[in-house]
Amino acid sequence: MNLLEMKGVSKIYGNVHALQNIDLIVEQGEWLAIMGPSGSGKTTMMNIVGCMDKASRGSVILHGVNISQESAKNLTAIRRDKIGLIFQQFHLINYLTALENVMVAQYYHSIPDEAEALRSLERVGLKDRAKHLPSQLSGGEQQRVCIARALINYPMLILADEPTGNLDEANEKIVLDILKQLHKEGSTIIVVTHDPEVADEAQRTVVLEHGKIARIVRNNKEV
Amino acid sequence: MFWRMVKGALFRQKGKMLMIAFTIALGASLSTAMLNVMLDVGDKVNQELKTYGANINVVPKGASLLDDLYGVGDGSGFSDKYLKESELGNIKTIFWAFNIVDFAPYFETRIALNNADEEVKLSGTWFSYHLELPTGESLNTGMINMKNWWDVSGEWISDLDTDSAMVGSLLASRYSIQAGDLITANSGNQSVSLRVKGVFNSGSDEDSQVFVPLSVAQKLAGRDGLVSRVEVSALTTPDNELSRRAAQNPKSLSIKEWETWYCTAYVSAICYQIDEVMTDSVSKPIRQVAESEGAILEKTQLLMLLITVLSLVGSALGISNLVTASVIERSKEIGLLKALGANNAPVSWLVLTEILFTGVVGGVAGYFAGLGFAQIIGQSVFGSAIDIKPMVIPIVAVLIFTVTLAGSVPSIRYMLSLRPAEVLHGR
Repeated sequence: MNLLEMKGVSKIYGNVHALQNIDLIVEQGEWLAIMGPSGSGKTTMMNIVGCMDKASRGSVILHGVNISQESAKNLTAIRRDKIGLIFQQFHLINYLTALENVMVAQYYHSIPDEAEALRSLERVGLKDRAKHLPSQLSGGEQQRVCIARALINYPMLILADEPTGNLDEANEKIVLDILKQLHKEGSTIIVVTHDPEVADEAQRTVVLEHGKIARIVRNNKEV
Repeated sequence: MFWRMVKGALFRQKGKMLMIAFTIALGASLSTAMLNVMLDVGDKVNQELKTYGANINVVPKGASLLDDLYGVGDGSGFSDKYLKESELGNIKTIFWAFNIVDFAPYFETRIALNNADEEVKLSGTWFSYHLELPTGESLNTGMINMKNWWDVSGEWISDLDTDSAMVGSLLASRYSIQAGDLITANSGNQSVSLRVKGVFNSGSDEDSQVFVPLSVAQKLAGRDGLVSRVEVSALTTPDNELSRRAAQNPKSLSIKEWETWYCTAYVSAICYQIDEVMTDSVSKPIRQVAESEGAILEKTQLLMLLITVLSLVGSALGISNLVTASVIERSKEIGLLKALGANNAPVSWLVLTEILFTGVVGGVAGYFAGLGFAQIIGQSVFGSAIDIKPMVIPIVAVLIFTVTLAGSVPSIRYMLSLRPAEVLHGR
């Protein structure tokens, strides 16, 4: 079953064509990697799929809803209910503890539940760091809090923007292991990355160049 | 969770919040100080002005008529009309008794000084007279309080010094009198020897007069228990249209207007009330003094009001800049909240709550600091404490609430315009 379907999607900023006529289908439970050099349109694509931006042309159907035609308010609701976001810069709120950072996502989604948030932190191996502020956590730990926050509302789609971009090798492995586990459990994951090792973990890799799909690699074989 | 976020923002970002609280405290302290001073400045300036003399003159009805018709108003020497000394205490029993700061009666007569042919004016008065009131209270009143700008060579006399006198500087130089000299005063067949205790310079026609205790002057003229006129120093409210109409004819007012006028400390209302308690008297405001006092008071209050408004505007701009800077600094956090599914309203409410809490802390601290500033102003300008007015608390609370909200408007607008994709991914 298709979770995401992009048809003829373009995004134009003034004279810049960030995305040009993209056609892409992502199946439920699939792990997709998006690669490409800087300025190739990776982040733009992620913003459109993540309901944080709208396509200039074409349609984007997420779980049966054409998000390219929804209002900003509806996009916020779809993002809240269906998408878990993981950022390269972690984007944790610096005056809230790890536990509270996870609970913030719960608060805007439904009802905060401390025990559930704690379980989410336990899942990424940070139960004992729950009361720490972001400034008291390492980069890898902050990224794991970010993942716990993305998972707390059981999203249909996990969107990860360079999730290992700011991490050392050891922490990169921990994060990748968590993503692998999530995929094994049936989560749909789209990862934007520069790192071939991260892309290798995906079932399919879309390579973007100048806003267009240059090639698609499936299980390390170009298709 | 909402309150955990507010608490986290307030207590884990103390530096930022303290800076905003400090700005709000500054505005609150200035407003508190200025409002307290503004509300008290009327009494303070009034009291200051009272040191420059009386603002009401009470004369007998007949003397007043002569004064009105012919411009001669120096009392017993011409009109032979008097007020009763026994009724003087009634002045402190009128509706506005507490606004009567001081009063001094005068008995004026003419004497031959040191057996010269020329007659000079002699005034008997209270210098600092202890008066028992009909209400059972007592007070010290008299000329010393009301003429404290007099430059006295020698010393003031007391009301019990019935064989002493004070002589005006012009008269003293004409008759070569110095403090310590003995003078004789003859009036009709009465004669009295007086020791000059002080020679004064008042800068007015009083410098050509002799001043003695009231009883001495009454005895010389053979008019015990009578006075020619009374000077009254009263705290008054600046005149307005109502008081001017009432001064011309109180009967022209409606009952409601009359009540308002009677129950306000207009100089005309106080005059009216004095006339009610003194038999056959006419009280008249000394217009120049009364009007100058009113004008000075109005201008001082306007000045204080302008300073208060300016301090609030300055405070609003400061708050606005700080809050906007704080929101810009937190734009990623706000973008993240929106990315996590928060709409504009909850995010705005979160930031506003933080600012309002900070405002309450700053406002309370500023209020107490403002009370301190008010006292500093009171001591350094007026030499006395400023009365703390409870009504300033709700005024400052409303002003600070409004100014904080108004100062937050630009930052809220900026916040509403933030798009998560722009702040989180730089797009």
